[in-house]
Amino acid sequence: MAKRFRELRERLLNAGVAPRHVRRYLTELHEHLADLTAEEMRAGRSSAEAEPIALERLGRMEDLARTMIARRELRSWTARAPWAVLGAGPVLAVVCGWGLALLILWTGWTWFLQGTPNPFGARLHGFSILYFGVGRMLYYGAPLAAGWGMVLLAGRQRVRTLWPVMAGGALVALMGATGAVDARPPTVPGRAGDVGIRFYPLPAQMGDAVAHALVLLALVVLPWLVWRWMALRGELERE
Amino acid sequence: MAPRETNPNFMNGVPELLILRLLEDGEMYGYEIVQAIRDRTDAVIAVGEGVVYPVLHALEHAGALKSRRKTVAGRSRIYYTVTKAGTRRLGDLAAQWTALTGAIQKTLAGSGAGGRYGEAVS
Repeated sequence: MAKRFRELRERLLNAGVAPRHVRRYLTELHEHLADLTAEEMRAGRSSAEAEPIALERLGRMEDLARTMIARRELRSWTARAPWAVLGAGPVLAVVCGWGLALLILWTGWTWFLQGTPNPFGARLHGFSILYFGVGRMLYYGAPLAAGWGMVLLAGRQRVRTLWPVMAGGALVALMGATGAVDARPPTVPGRAGDVGIRFYPLPAQMGDAVAHALVLLALVVLPWLVWRWMALRGELERE
Repeated sequence: MAPRETNPNFMNGVPELLILRLLEDGEMYGYEIVQAIRDRTDAVIAVGEGVVYPVLHALEHAGALKSRRKTVAGRSRIYYTVTKAGTRRLGDLAAQWTALTGAIQKTLAGSGAGGRYGEAVS
């Protein structure tokens, strides 16, 4: 029974039905089947007799899959526009993460390091260590978190095509490797300066940037490749 | 001349119409809905029981229904209720179906068979 529903789940996800609809559909079918079995047993049938009748009343798996797949509006955005969710999505996530990191840097500079020409290398005390630590974590972690989020979405939707995942992974890797925080000294004495992200590595740093991008790409894409390999192996074993 | 709406498929919209009408009386979960359809239509309309859920999901997606999960005696039930938009949709669907069935009945009654078909369907 569980195998039957597992196959239905895989078929629906592969067809692009949104994971939340698939999850709820399976819960509902499972409960409905239990109700039908109980109804047949109340009518005097044994458990062994009731279950196949209940399954027949529930509908053929083929029909259950087809009617759900036919509802185009229940498809996920990952299936409808993979380029947007898996390509633009992680880029937006990195931009948001870095925006927050910059906000933390700028406010920290204003509150804890007033008058210092540069927030980097200044001696920190107490709460400011934690405050700047969160910002630093966001800055370094955003590309990886965005990439893993993208891989998670692709995995949940059973995305099999390589290019959206590779493209999304390459974009965040490139951003992570070439984006550097830039702090400009204050123009008005006693005030904080400007902070931003610079995206073009200096020629001298090109080698490091490429290596950094490759490491990030590998870290982002590796979980997806492992999942694809395991899924493929499972399919071959079933065949 | 104004364009006329066509009826692409006679059974199109029937499950939606029945579900919306049933849920107008109160919240129900899938199994209850299927039983109610069978009871109220004297089993003339029998839907594949599992295929009622894609209709429910689609109606909810369209804003005609809303759902809530309730645990009853250890069982997870998803109850559906009609929204205001759903009530409006029910009104539209019911009007379409009343017009359509009226037209079919009129055609059968006046089919030149001495009212034989008209009697059969009335």
